[in-house]
Amino acid sequence: MLGYGQSVSYRWLSRISPSRRRPAPSEQRAGVDLMRQVHALSVDLQDGLHGRGVFSAARRLSRLLAADGVVLADLDGPVASHGARFDADDVAGLLAQVFEYGGNARRRLPEGASVCAVPLTVADELAGALVVSGRPAEADVEAAAALVSDALDHAALRRTRDRIAAADLRTLRAQISPHFVHNALAVIAALVRTDPDRARHLLSDFADYLRYGFSEKGDYATVSDELEATQTYLELQRARFHDRLDITVRMAPEVLPVAIPFLVVQPIVENAIRHGLERKEGTGHISVSGFGEGPLCVIEIEDDGVGMHPDLARSLLAGTGPESRSVGLANVDQRLRAVYGPEYGLVIETAPGEGTKVTVRVPRFTRGVVAQ
Amino acid sequence: MTSVLAIGLVLVTSLVIGVYGVRAARSTSDFLVASRRVSPNWNALAIAGEYLSAASVLGLSGLLLKNGLGTMWYAVGFAAGYVAVVALVAGPMRRSGAFTVPDFAEYRLGAPRLRKLCGLVVLVIMLLYLVPQFKGAGVVLSLVSGTPYWVGVLLAGVVVSGSIAAGGMRSATYVQAFHYVVKLAFIAVPAIYLVVHAGPETRAEALNPEWGTHFPEATPVEFTVDTDFSLDEPVTVTTPSGDGVELSAGEHTVGQGTEYVFPEGATIPHPDGLPELGSERWSTPLLDVGGYPLFETWSTLLAITFGCMGLPHVIMRFHTSPTARTARRVAVGVIALLGLFYLFPMVYGLLGRVLTPQLVLLQGTDTVAVVLPAQAVPGSVGTVLTALVAAGAFGAFLSTSSGLLLALAGGLSHDLFQGSVPRLRLAVVVGAGVAVLLALPAQMIDINVLVVWAFTVAASTFCPLLVLGIWWRRLTLAGAASGLAVGAVTATGAVGWSILFTTPAGWVTVLLAQPAAWTIPLAFGTMMAVSGLTRPPDWAEHAVLRLHSP
Repeated sequence: MLGYGQSVSYRWLSRISPSRRRPAPSEQRAGVDLMRQVHALSVDLQDGLHGRGVFSAARRLSRLLAADGVVLADLDGPVASHGARFDADDVAGLLAQVFEYGGNARRRLPEGASVCAVPLTVADELAGALVVSGRPAEADVEAAAALVSDALDHAALRRTRDRIAAADLRTLRAQISPHFVHNALAVIAALVRTDPDRARHLLSDFADYLRYGFSEKGDYATVSDELEATQTYLELQRARFHDRLDITVRMAPEVLPVAIPFLVVQPIVENAIRHGLERKEGTGHISVSGFGEGPLCVIEIEDDGVGMHPDLARSLLAGTGPESRSVGLANVDQRLRAVYGPEYGLVIETAPGEGTKVTVRVPRFTRGVVAQ
Repeated sequence: MTSVLAIGLVLVTSLVIGVYGVRAARSTSDFLVASRRVSPNWNALAIAGEYLSAASVLGLSGLLLKNGLGTMWYAVGFAAGYVAVVALVAGPMRRSGAFTVPDFAEYRLGAPRLRKLCGLVVLVIMLLYLVPQFKGAGVVLSLVSGTPYWVGVLLAGVVVSGSIAAGGMRSATYVQAFHYVVKLAFIAVPAIYLVVHAGPETRAEALNPEWGTHFPEATPVEFTVDTDFSLDEPVTVTTPSGDGVELSAGEHTVGQGTEYVFPEGATIPHPDGLPELGSERWSTPLLDVGGYPLFETWSTLLAITFGCMGLPHVIMRFHTSPTARTARRVAVGVIALLGLFYLFPMVYGLLGRVLTPQLVLLQGTDTVAVVLPAQAVPGSVGTVLTALVAAGAFGAFLSTSSGLLLALAGGLSHDLFQGSVPRLRLAVVVGAGVAVLLALPAQMIDINVLVVWAFTVAASTFCPLLVLGIWWRRLTLAGAASGLAVGAVTATGAVGWSILFTTPAGWVTVLLAQPAAWTIPLAFGTMMAVSGLTRPPDWAEHAVLRLHSP
């Protein structure tokens, strides 16, 4: 690989200056220039053979190899070419030969030039071919093909990384629902005999909630939608608490249309009820308030429940807390960070016996965050 | 003293509403109720409340008294700006979801560096707009409490940053709506009372100015700055010590601190360079400061109308509307509310011409709305009326400058630096500090000159960015950036030059003082030309489409 790289660099350098013995600084300059060229090539190919940069990549390769013309082809045929006109049948023949036998293919042209096709492999699989016409040696073309293959491999990895991030988000989202579904059904089941009317109301609330939770509309909702979903959840919880749950909502109207990630408010309210108020005697109080703070939108969820040790809160956010409490806050925190960046995670203020206050602070506008 | 109390009352009330008002108005045990949006009317009230600044309450009547009837075009522009907003940006801006203009720039052109540039322009516009607010507050405070001007400005800075720190950060819709009501009531009630009380003679004189104006009664005039003026006929004035001084016809220069009492019926001397009160130039309904009335009127009107659309703190209010449709309805509501309000500064200006013409001589026309009631209605009623107007003016200052300061701080902390909450608070204090420093030497510059400067910069930068960004698919990053830079530099530079340096009278002065007529087309042209040379990104089409799809 290194050897090939040097042979390419030599060829390219010789175009700049015919002298073979040149002073070290200019040699070093040329080396840096070459590195830049190679990097530019990998940027051109960052979207693979079907991205926008593929034509520029063909041009760059043609310059690097001092070739008459370059064609980049995928398994279906040429996708980009630069330089000398190629005979379509010639190229098709060479490609067929390469794809059939997996090795290089070469056709001599008059006047000593030739057309040479070398396979491109991504993750050990044939992905296309590099066709070069002119006088470059076959080894040089192979070196260039190795470079292109690497760039294509990177492009494939990058796409995979994006897909994994998206899948992670979906997993996180899906994690919430089963958790809540179980609780809700348990509440309704408990009421079916004693208060069938209420159970029916709750079931229809629950249906509304599911429609919201399972909707495939996108990853973001407005604050206002989030509040409505939270209301449904609270109706279910109130039934369980036999109405010893006191709620205050204060929302400045200017933050209602702000788009935030799906299911952010409800899990925090759920956490406040399950871990703050459930174990508290007497009436529990939750207050949810939202307001604008310059370019930021702030939502605070505060309860006067049993609170927790700050270390526990820290481990909850880090996802290393006790298994029974790992869902919820950590999930919301992760999603907020994934969308807005590390500085916009949840803030928890709490102490044993002092209640808990969870603050969500996000920008009112972030590129790409739009409620559907 | 009454006025100081009234100002204190407005301040305390708005603080209380800021801290507890949201609670009282929106506190509920039901998320469904809380998630209901406020009606467009509330929103319109809030926007009008934030928009009506010291420029509207004090500046307009002052400029009317000084420069003549043409000043009414300012009011036309201030209200007409919202027509442009409704027609061109309100709906699409709401659909984009962008909260500020830098947000929009990032949405449409997708470049963090452009965001920084926009943040800089926000800074310039907001500072230019803040300085006249602080000037107005300083003038009013020093007038009603007798302290020097700089104390008033400094106090205003402390009050605004303090009130933001105490809860004004929440920029609540209800506080701003309350301020509209305060401003309207405190300006309208005294105005109506004055019109009724003035009597038929004064009213007739206000509407049909006779050439040249006389002091209605023996009037003491204290010159707070060195003043050049000319007299048409000799007059004998008395100094505070009781000596008579004979002023001959012709040019006079009076030093700072001199006090003369002009006898009843004496012709009012007029300072050099200004239209004679009640003269033909004064009564012509065109802006005429540099001698090219038609151009000046158009240029000012363009600056104000298109500037409104580019004002960062106006645009972000439309974010509150749930849909593009309601955003437009809100803007229409604002036009009605502004139209109603702007009747009253005119009353002060016209009555001021008859009752307090000496303000022109004193170069203190911005205070006419506060001085007039006491002059027209002596006694306790006059004191109360003065207190009302002063409180209204202070309310105007408070609501506008806290909105401006928040927008400025947001731009500073969010767009220019990666922001956190402590930074936001720090940015508020820094912004207020810089505005106070700039306002100190600005005592002699008319409020409206400074405000129109801010509007001109907005019209030459954000207006093209928004209009082209919304309506032209081929706008590119390079085009937007170069247009913004050209617009910002020419508009800021031209007006700044005309304020700081004196230029020979003629076209040059007019073009520098009222540059909107050439800077706006220049900014548009630059954006389009440079965009034509570069290629828009592939997703531009999609981004524009989303701005217009219902």
